[in-house]
Amino acid sequence: MIQFILRRSLVMIPQLILLSIIVFFLASAMPGDAVTGAFQNNPNVSPEQEEKIREKFGLNDPWYQQYGRWVSKALQGDLGMSYTHKQPVTVLLKDRLSNTLLLAGVTLLVTYLIAIPLGIIAGRWQDSWADKLIVTYNYVSFATPMFVFALLMLFVFSFQLGWFPIGGSVDIRAEGGTFDYYISKVKHLVLPVLSGALLMTYSTIQYLRNDIIDTKFKDFVKTARAKGVPENHVYTRHILRNSLLPIASFLGYEITGLIGGSIFIETIFSYPGLGQLFLNSIMLRDFQVVTALVMISGAAVIVGTMLSDIILSIVDPRIRID
Amino acid sequence: MSKKRFLLFASLMMALTLLLAACSGDDEAKKTDKDQDKGKGKDELFVEDVEAQFPQTVSNDGEAVKDGELTVGLISDSPFEGTLNKVFYEGKPDADVMKWFDENLFDRDGDYMITNTGAAEYELSEDNKTITIKIRDGVNWHDGEPVKSTDLLYSYELLGHPDYTGTRYSFMISNVEGMEEYHNGEADTISGIEIINDKELTITYKEPAPSLLQGIWDSATPRHYVGDVTKGELTMEDLVSSEKIRTSPIGFGPYKVSKIVPGESVLYDRNDDYWRGEPALKNVALKVVSVASAIDALKRGDIDVAPELPTDQYERMIDIENAELLATLQNSYTYVGFKLGKWDEETKQNVPDPDAKLADKRVRQAMWHAMNNEAIGQKFYYGLRTPATTLIIPFFETFHDASNKGRAYDPEKAKKLLDDAGYIDVDGDGFREDPDGNEFVVNFASMSGGDIAEPLAQAYIQNWEDVGIKVQLTNGRLHEFNSFYDMLEKDDPNIDIYQGAWGTGTDPDPEGLYGRTAKFNYTRYASEENDKLLEAGNSPEAFDEDYRRDVYNKWQELMVEEVPVAPTLYRYAVHGVNKRVTNYTIDPTSEIQLYEIGVTE
Repeated sequence: MIQFILRRSLVMIPQLILLSIIVFFLASAMPGDAVTGAFQNNPNVSPEQEEKIREKFGLNDPWYQQYGRWVSKALQGDLGMSYTHKQPVTVLLKDRLSNTLLLAGVTLLVTYLIAIPLGIIAGRWQDSWADKLIVTYNYVSFATPMFVFALLMLFVFSFQLGWFPIGGSVDIRAEGGTFDYYISKVKHLVLPVLSGALLMTYSTIQYLRNDIIDTKFKDFVKTARAKGVPENHVYTRHILRNSLLPIASFLGYEITGLIGGSIFIETIFSYPGLGQLFLNSIMLRDFQVVTALVMISGAAVIVGTMLSDIILSIVDPRIRID
Repeated sequence: MSKKRFLLFASLMMALTLLLAACSGDDEAKKTDKDQDKGKGKDELFVEDVEAQFPQTVSNDGEAVKDGELTVGLISDSPFEGTLNKVFYEGKPDADVMKWFDENLFDRDGDYMITNTGAAEYELSEDNKTITIKIRDGVNWHDGEPVKSTDLLYSYELLGHPDYTGTRYSFMISNVEGMEEYHNGEADTISGIEIINDKELTITYKEPAPSLLQGIWDSATPRHYVGDVTKGELTMEDLVSSEKIRTSPIGFGPYKVSKIVPGESVLYDRNDDYWRGEPALKNVALKVVSVASAIDALKRGDIDVAPELPTDQYERMIDIENAELLATLQNSYTYVGFKLGKWDEETKQNVPDPDAKLADKRVRQAMWHAMNNEAIGQKFYYGLRTPATTLIIPFFETFHDASNKGRAYDPEKAKKLLDDAGYIDVDGDGFREDPDGNEFVVNFASMSGGDIAEPLAQAYIQNWEDVGIKVQLTNGRLHEFNSFYDMLEKDDPNIDIYQGAWGTGTDPDPEGLYGRTAKFNYTRYASEENDKLLEAGNSPEAFDEDYRRDVYNKWQELMVEEVPVAPTLYRYAVHGVNKRVTNYTIDPTSEIQLYEIGVTE
């Protein structure tokens, strides 16, 4: 097992290197850089000064030189300075990461809280009206773009009904550590989380439903029934145990989805996390930040799929590549 | 079983498709309906005279309650970066955050000239080269330390420091005597700045420049608090990313920072030690609100003050019942520029090309006359943008020439100018050919962003088409901000004309945008007359206001004649302020100070 994990991790390394090269090359192909936008508003600064700063940040060098510098620094844990934020990228990411982790973690939790019961109901009482309703919800959520849905949620529950705040992560007037503070945090989370979770359930529901339907006609289930095991017991003990495992293996892919989704969700709800930072950094051509973020999300995806593989290999020894 | 499932699936899909089809059909019907309504609304709904219709100061003159609380919106689609120091910050959101806790040493009047009513007083020497600055007693940093003359010096030392990578090492800084030597690392101190005592210093300039009184750097940095880079206590990089600038900055303004949620919101508490008097509010919260949510946040009372509401949503603003709308002219303008040459990297100069496609000024004049800016301002911005006349905007009350009417919308005159210039439709396709009878197509570059970018560009294209000039978008589409300026800077041959905008700052001197050596002079226009006037405008004689006004009037006239750019729209900013707020003003001439803002309920 350990050998498998080790081997799987080694495969990650060339993947990450390739990713970083592609990111660096593409970033340098974009028109403009961080200095372009910054000087656009200061006509009284001489072009020489602008050039000097470009020179200082090494923005005039060819991309492979910049890449070489970046790699040697990154290996020492230094991801460079953000030009627009005037802060080391690592510090900047740390600030934002906690927000994104909270948002993504809660979203994942809520996704499973919704999806697993629905999947079980749909699979167990297949073709019932409940099943049909769930399947309909599933197709609708699959087809709805996240940014449209998030805007709709914001419009209805914030603008129209006024139940939830318009944006941000916490009310600044709430005293840190008090009850009000946590209530405020939760209130700020509800809409972003629901906008993500309600749309992310489809794959889990679908797989769970299909798997339960498949499993319930398998021989061992028939045997169990024949032995007189109560129906509820058949489902909780025999079928569910088998059907939940593939869902766990999808965790990695869900994480991928969360990263993509966070860009829309955080931007729409003014929730200062990595997704919003990513979008803004692209707009301002803050390449150090963009590169770091792409690498991090790339790594998260690769680690996520690795987790999936590992879970799967534990569950099902047949796929273990020895 | 599997057949049944398939059927169920198929029927579900059918039902869904139908449902969706019905939805979209319905949507479309609704949309056109609404669009028509909106169209109607827009035509009727526009502001005829912004200044007559909107005040600049709130009308609530009630007594402010003791210990009131105010919530201010920071209308922005991106979080504030949090570089909370005037020397280092980049984005406007950071400036909005600093406004409440940090003050400049000088107050400024309606022409943005420094006065003697602020935290410091000044005196100018006979030869206008040396300014003596004296900081008032009782002006203290938030940690109780007095603001000292060396704190102002520190800002200069940071701006000119060889390691400084910000965008504020401008002419006003480099013009200080000895600054360039210091900037190049040849000197350890700035010879032109002399500390007389704790409260007094003098700054000597290489050349006397009238812009000094508008453009002088007068923001101090608390040396004792943030640490001294010049003494090697910390590096420039450490300073910029230090907590003392990012999360617990101090200033000497009416409120002090009590808490910051990075990128998102700031809470300020009253500064009891404020030098002007006791601030009216107990605390102020500032929070980032996205542009799209600004109006609703104000309506809901989430924020009391919304500076700069999006003007293209005016029809929704007028429904806000709990707030008053204020409007003021912004220090920026939109313009159409004509590419007339190239930037020469060798000589660092703009070199006009006599063979440029639009080298004939009559064509440029005609294109200005052809633009119906009045209609565009009303249709797209509800009259909150008005036709521009000259390049020194009315924001500078003294220097804007109100008698110069620019080039008004007059398609007949435009046609005549084109006829005279020899641009005539010879092949009968409805578009004019150039004097040699060749096809004449003008490539127009414009920026994307916002819903109206495309229709706005099309409206101008239509205007030009109406006088027979064929205009097409560069590469057939709009360009994103960075690519747009990248192409402009590199004098991309696919751009003949472009639509851009400039912020003017508070210094009327147009040299930085239109001078021969100005890289931002994207049209690459240059002429001797232009050089002469720009130089005269910032010469020692121009300390005399009448002389300077006269020079700038001549320059504005020259620009209307030569038309390297055609200014299109002046912009008004609309502020929404809850009716419970008192003493809030956006009038630059007003005596009301920030610390007097209060709430009456």
